[in-house]
This record gives sequence, structure tokens and C-alpha cells, in this order.
Amino acid sequence: MAYTKPIPEPDPVNRVFWEGAKAGKLMLPRCTTCNRVHWYPRLLCPFCHSRELEWVEGSGEGRIHTFAVQHRAFGGWAEEVPFVTAYIDLKEGDRMFTVLRGVDPTKPESIRIGAKVRVEFEQASDEVSIPFWRVVEE
Amino acid sequence: MPGELSRAAAIIGAAEANEIGYPATPKTALQLHIEAIKNVSEQTGIPISRIDGVFSAGWSSQLAEHLGLHPKYIDTTSVGGCSFEMHVHHALAAIHAGIIEVALISHGENGWSARATGGRGTGRPRGAPDPWDPGQQFQQIYGVSGAPSNYAHAMTRHNHRFGSTPEDFAHIAVVTRQWAMLNPRAIMFSKETNPGGGPITVEDVQNSRVVAWPLTLLHCCLVTDYGGAVLVASPEVARSVKTKPVWIAGAGESMGHANMLEMEDFTATSAAASAAAAYRMAGMGPEDMEMAMIYDSFTITAGITAEMLGLAPRGEGFLLWKDGRAAPGGKFPINTNGGGLSFNHSGMYGMQLLVEAYRQLSRTAEDGVTGLPGKQVDARSCIVNGTGGSLSTTGTLILVAD
Repeated sequence: MAYTKPIPEPDPVNRVFWEGAKAGKLMLPRCTTCNRVHWYPRLLCPFCHSRELEWVEGSGEGRIHTFAVQHRAFGGWAEEVPFVTAYIDLKEGDRMFTVLRGVDPTKPESIRIGAKVRVEFEQASDEVSIPFWRVVEE
Repeated sequence: MPGELSRAAAIIGAAEANEIGYPATPKTALQLHIEAIKNVSEQTGIPISRIDGVFSAGWSSQLAEHLGLHPKYIDTTSVGGCSFEMHVHHALAAIHAGIIEVALISHGENGWSARATGGRGTGRPRGAPDPWDPGQQFQQIYGVSGAPSNYAHAMTRHNHRFGSTPEDFAHIAVVTRQWAMLNPRAIMFSKETNPGGGPITVEDVQNSRVVAWPLTLLHCCLVTDYGGAVLVASPEVARSVKTKPVWIAGAGESMGHANMLEMEDFTATSAAASAAAAYRMAGMGPEDMEMAMIYDSFTITAGITAEMLGLAPRGEGFLLWKDGRAAPGGKFPINTNGGGLSFNHSGMYGMQLLVEAYRQLSRTAEDGVTGLPGKQVDARSCIVNGTGGSLSTTGTLILVAD
């Protein structure tokens, strides 16, 4: 089925991330000076301002930091309301935004902050696959 | 001890556009600006030609050209709804430095009318956002759109961390509505003026339509038209005009992030830093404040901000409303115009905060400065805090009566 929602456009700063996503890998930028992983991809490390950055493959594991249930959305997402959006604390550090899978948007009280999540990728076009996170424990 | 900039300038007038809220026929943002500017000029007796600094959120060159001005200081800082508090901060510094004497800070925004014109007359580009913007690539692709979808995440986290509930925050909407019912200019003044107006209960707030759980409609601000303008002037000019000065005792600004992806603590904003700077400049503290004007884009914004300003302990900002201190007749009035929740919210609400703070501290709220009545309180000091973006940026002012 065709992906009807917005498809990101890789740019020169984050191309490696999207190439990884296409191959089912969660590529994360890491600073080789202070060893910290950051998100979203930068030109300088946001923690120590070093320009010595590399890409590493992440574990794809994280936990829910906070979430909301979207009852109003535009474009392709309008057909999917209600859906749950969440910020994910990555195992490697820093935080990503996502649409959460494996949860019931009509029962937000059943969703637990701190719950374990794992990344998965949905192919949106020939070129781009998009990361989503799924709750993997009760 | 107050800092060097404390009281180096005063707000000497504050006026609104001729028509605000839901105008009968669509208005452009520029109309709303110009009406308010003409009104504040007449109110203070300061001719428009005497303005030598122009401050606005993105409009300063258009405004100066429209008015035939050739300003010595141009500032068009546009970082969301707190831009106007920052403009006051910048104007204070420019006046203290002797660069200018009379600063115009202006806001015009047709949040309501733009819906009827397909987005025309807003002064903003109508093209698609840059697809290479990180926010587009890593956040907007997941279907979030508009402020409620973002701010809802902060409510969830506050509830988790402090054991607060959405019902606790609903009290903010209920109390703010009580203020709106004392302000005939407020959209939600009464059932007669608006079917959704008049009194509301916590149950009404919680039972209203879910926009982005846990935020229901009545946890969210209005979308209206607004034009407002204030003049900030040197002490010499302030002493020479027919209006009362309201002194800028303290000012500060800060930011946490641009995109919510970078928000470190979802229960805190940079208002802690901007308020600390403002208190330091003023030589005053939270205990010296007698009222507050706090940006209430959502109930969660107001609750968190009250904590950041030191007006309540961490996790307990909502109690100011829940226990009635912030309500009409309470010991510590907050958002005496009816707030962004029930008075007016054009998209960027920082000017509405400034106009109301001036009206209260200049004792002109009852009669109205331009025929616009409201409820007068007896506070002599007011902390004003604007919040912009997605709990991103903040500007704090400490204003005191003459």
C-alpha cells in the first residue's frame, strides 16, 4: 500500500541516517571527542562543539519519555487519528520523536512512561524508510 | 540592589486596534498594527513622527515604511509569542544607551481573519516549509501540526513527574474564564456575546472535545485577531506626557530550544533563567510581585511558568488557580484580561500581556485607555512572562506603577 503521509527528504547533513534507515539500521551521530551521541544530526557536537563526528549503529532500544494522543492531524495523518506520538529516550542517549506502535490510542492511561520500545522501519518510498518505535513490554 | 538598567525607561502608553477578536469583516495584520499605533500616539500625545525606534515581530521595515519613519534603531526579533517582552528588554537597553528616546513596539496578527482569506494579509510567506529543516525531517513527518499537538507532551510528563492531573490544570481555564467575564472585550465575556462564553466548570473543561490528549479544547487558547502597540520612552519623555508611566524595573530573556526535539525537561522552561535576570535587574523577588500576566497558550503553559517564575513550588503552579489566589477577589491576580484562553489570542500573545499590565499598573483598566473597559485590580507590581514556540523561548518583565 502506498505511503500517503509526509516523506522526509534526506539532506547533506543527515544522508547517512536515511541510508541506514533504508537498510534497517538506526544510525546515530556520535562525537569522537566527548563520545556522546546526539539527536538530531549536527555539524558540530551540541555538547562540546567538536567537529569530529562519526556515525555509529544504535541498538534500536529506548524508553518512552513522554507521549500524547493526537486527535487532529492534517494530510495523510488525518486518516489515522487518534494516534500516539512520543519522545523516546535512546539507550545511547538523547531523544527522538516518533509515532508509537503497539499501543491503544483510545486507552492512553494504559501507556506507561518508561516503557521499553524498539525501533522498526516502514518503507515509505523506494529511497526512504521511516523509523517508528514499538512498545515491547507491558 | 537594582541593576543599572532598572527603571531606565518606562512604558508610557498601550493601545489596541479599533476592533479585535472576531471582526465582522476580515482584517489584515497591517491594519491591526496601524490602528493600534495611531491609537497609542493619540493616547500619549506623542506624534508618530517622534518615534525613533521600531520593534516588532518581523514587521519593522514594513511598519517604518508605512509610517514614513526613518528609525535609528530597528529590531524585528520574531521568536514566538514572547517576542514583545524581548522587544521591551531591547528598547530599555537602547534607550539607556542613548541611541533612541521613544520606542514603538507593535503587534498585528489576523489569526481569525486569515481563516476567511485563505491565509492572506498575514504578512507571512504562504509557501511550503523547507523540507530540509530538521523539524520537518524528524518531527513534522509524524503528523504533529500546530501547538496543541506539541504542548500535550508537556502535560503528560508533568502529570507523571509530579502526580498532577489534567483536572488540576483545568482550574486554570475555569479561573481565567472568571476574569474574562469581567472584560467586555473578551471573546468569552458572556453567553450573549458568544455561545461558548460565560462561566465554565472543571467538568466542562474535561468534557470538551479532545484536541491532543491530555489537552481538551478548553485547555487551549483562542484564535483571534489582535492589534496592539506600546510606547517605551526615556524618563525625560515619560515625565512630559499626559499618560502615566509604568516603569520597567527588570527585564530578562532566554531560550531552551527552537524545536521541541531539544526540550531537555518537559516540565520546565527558560522562564527560570529569564525571570532570574529580571528579578536581579529589579532588585526584587517573587515575594515582591502583586500580580502576574503569564502567557497561557495552554493551561500547562501557565502552570509550568508560575513555577519557573518562583510564584509556586515545583509541581504546584496550578494551585495558584485551584485554591483561588489567582481568581477575581483573590490575593494574587493572574491574567486579569481573561488570558489567551478566554480573552484573545492571535497566535502570538505577548502584546496582549503588555497592554493589560500597562492598563492595570497605570490604573486605567476600569475606564479603559481607548474606551475599552475591564476590571481594575490594586496591584502596584506585575511580573509579565511571554513564552514562544513550543515552550521554547521566554521574555520576562517586572513592571511597577509610578
